[in-house]
Amino acid sequence: MKRTIRWMGAFAVFCWVSLFLLPAAMAVNAKYDFDHFPDMSDYDPNNIVKPEGDTIKIAIIAAFSGPAAAVGQSYLLPVGWVAHDINKRGGIMVDGKKKKIEIIIADNQNKPDVTLKVTERMILQEKVDILWGTSGSHLQKVINQLADKHKKISVNAISLSDELMDKDNFTKYAFMTCFSTEQIGRAFAYFYGQIRKKETKFYILNQDYLFGHSLAEGFKVGLKEYFPTAQIVGEDYHKLFLTDFAPYLTKIKTSGAEVIFTGDWIPDAANLLKQSRQMGVMLPFANIFLSDPTTLTEVGIEGTTGLMAISQSGTGNPVFKNEGIIKYFKVWDNLWKNKWAKPYNSLSYKYPMGALGTYMTSVYWLASVLERAGSTDPEKVIKVWEGDSYQTLGGKVMTMRACDHKMVTDLHIYEFVPPAQQKQCFNIEPYYWFEKCAGAGPVYEIPSDKAIPKADPELCKKN
Amino acid sequence: MKRNLIWTLWAAGVAAVALFPHLFGVYYANALILFAVWALFAVSLNLLLGFTGLLSFGHAMYFGTGAYGAALALNHIKGLSIVPAVIIGMIAAVILALLIAPLVVRVSGTAFAMLHLAFAQLLYVLALKLRSITGGEDGISIYPRPDLNIFGLLRIEMNDQNFFYFAVIVIAAALSFLWFFTKTPFGQIMVGMRDNSKRIGYLGFKVTYTKAVVYAVSGGFAGLAGAIYALLQSLISTNDAYSMVVSVYPIMMVMLGGVLSYFGPIVGAAFFALIDEWIGSGQFQQLLLKLLSLLLPSSLAQRVSDFFQFEMILGLILVLVTLYWPLGLAGFIALQRMRWQMRRVSGGPQRSAT
Repeated sequence: MKRTIRWMGAFAVFCWVSLFLLPAAMAVNAKYDFDHFPDMSDYDPNNIVKPEGDTIKIAIIAAFSGPAAAVGQSYLLPVGWVAHDINKRGGIMVDGKKKKIEIIIADNQNKPDVTLKVTERMILQEKVDILWGTSGSHLQKVINQLADKHKKISVNAISLSDELMDKDNFTKYAFMTCFSTEQIGRAFAYFYGQIRKKETKFYILNQDYLFGHSLAEGFKVGLKEYFPTAQIVGEDYHKLFLTDFAPYLTKIKTSGAEVIFTGDWIPDAANLLKQSRQMGVMLPFANIFLSDPTTLTEVGIEGTTGLMAISQSGTGNPVFKNEGIIKYFKVWDNLWKNKWAKPYNSLSYKYPMGALGTYMTSVYWLASVLERAGSTDPEKVIKVWEGDSYQTLGGKVMTMRACDHKMVTDLHIYEFVPPAQQKQCFNIEPYYWFEKCAGAGPVYEIPSDKAIPKADPELCKKN
Repeated sequence: MKRNLIWTLWAAGVAAVALFPHLFGVYYANALILFAVWALFAVSLNLLLGFTGLLSFGHAMYFGTGAYGAALALNHIKGLSIVPAVIIGMIAAVILALLIAPLVVRVSGTAFAMLHLAFAQLLYVLALKLRSITGGEDGISIYPRPDLNIFGLLRIEMNDQNFFYFAVIVIAAALSFLWFFTKTPFGQIMVGMRDNSKRIGYLGFKVTYTKAVVYAVSGGFAGLAGAIYALLQSLISTNDAYSMVVSVYPIMMVMLGGVLSYFGPIVGAAFFALIDEWIGSGQFQQLLLKLLSLLLPSSLAQRVSDFFQFEMILGLILVLVTLYWPLGLAGFIALQRMRWQMRRVSGGPQRSAT
């Protein structure tokens, strides 16, 4: 009896200690500090204020001209926002000084040779501390190579190809803060095979470069693993910035496909969706970047209902989980309605979520790492960022895998439904995202262990 | 005295180039290499256009083949040094030129231009589609750059500074070779063919064979420019190698600099590089914005200044040069010099008469 009581006592002590130790063990290294959220009413992405004195320079390397100019615009607003937020708090303490963040635009025109030239200009002439970019894995590869050569930190917030971080291309100076191709492919396969269990015939239509091929490969790997009875009824790769998708859509029409799987990004994503609906192809798209509300509104509710979008920044329903997020959103919304001019007063920029949220998180995380490293010295930054974890305002936790610098997190797949059914997701007034198009409604969580980012065995031997 | 001055100028020029990376840093050293690459590419095109009277709308196919030749060799031959890689690039371009030559040297004018446009597009699409070989839109990476290995006796690491000297020496040697090539009797036959190919035929020269030789030389040196370009960029992709723009750029350089002069394309390439740098660094837009802000509201001024991109400025300049200086910048300078000399000659006797 005494022995039992002793055991029970020991168990009670264990539980008591665990109560304190477990949260500490599970705690993230850093999280977004909403308590000191500053007055952002003077933020204007069309007139980003250049801070004076010694600054931390971040180059946004992206297309700011040419057919993909909208891509650069969509990076400037969120990165500028984060810089403004941090600067209004007084900056970041690095190398013994409080330094503000300075944003420098580097227009790569979405071309490899220009990317090389402007990135070199940023490193050698502008003396930037951080390279932040870019859409196009082939372009990100150029940036990462230069980061390696000149020992600069490169933050890849947008390019999703796994190959960027394999043994041949890995550099310790590059960090991937976005999800990656095989992870996305497997997540979609898990969703269709293990959660939705409805459609079985898929048509892959991607852009004809590293990212498109890598994404398709990931999807096929995922289908083998989670949905072996599924069929790929067609597979095509088109040139970047195509304006006529008719030949591909005609093939899709006759293929018997039930879902089009695409990784196309703007402007291809918009043109593909619009043209498919014009041609009467009403199939759902399993996609990453088909969420631009300006395009969705042009297509209308009927044409956008049923789209399945994957997100790395989503946190499940409802979106507005706490007062902090609601306040944050209202500040943004007020500026969007009353202050920002073209192009930032368009529907595309109405919510600081989705892709914009992803970019913002990437810079907030970087800023937090710089602060904790107490330096912009790449070696010190690497030491802090490897294995680091960070929590967003919405509660999302992301971890930087130390062996290959890839971000690990849970993913979410959003089903687009008409405005009347969006309240489960958009839980504050007006209870829908956009009046004239479908938007996120039901959300399906893909746990990180079901779609862990691909790890090169030579880099991640211990995993 | 004049001879001494020329030698002094040459020595000063060589010293300036030697000190360039130390004085201006890696960034401008790379910009200078890029200018040299464009200059060689434009001069190679001008062998056809200016000296032989053949307009090619597809010279990018040789530039691209040279670039891909070097890149593929470095990716597939382990331990290959930089010199054989460049030579392989050049030979690949010569082989392509020799394959195409029998089809194109028998025609001239519009047919020659259009055939080249077609071949270049064919290669462009092939390079895009043969992704497993060319890397398609992603291209092939050459990183890190290979060392310079001289018969196993000396190994020089090709860091940015050493690569600058390597590229400058190779391109200077190539440009010198082409200069002497145009001054040989063979070079005079080229010019003769441009002016009246029938007469050259009547004189007993084989016009088609001569054209084929010029064509292969031109293609080879375009390939050499491409190989150096690929090594400079550490990457070559289909767009950088074979796109229509790559074919149009050297034509613009030749037109800007002057089609009838050997140095015209070099002047054109320099002008091209300066404008590229001026606009690319944003200095042009800043200046334009300041000027426009005096006349227009700031948002409109911003939009107008953003509107002026590299290709647009270059296009405007080309229109102006074609309208007012049809012989290009080199032709304009030569004309002014001639006028000045004539004025001096005609002015001399008048002064002595009074």
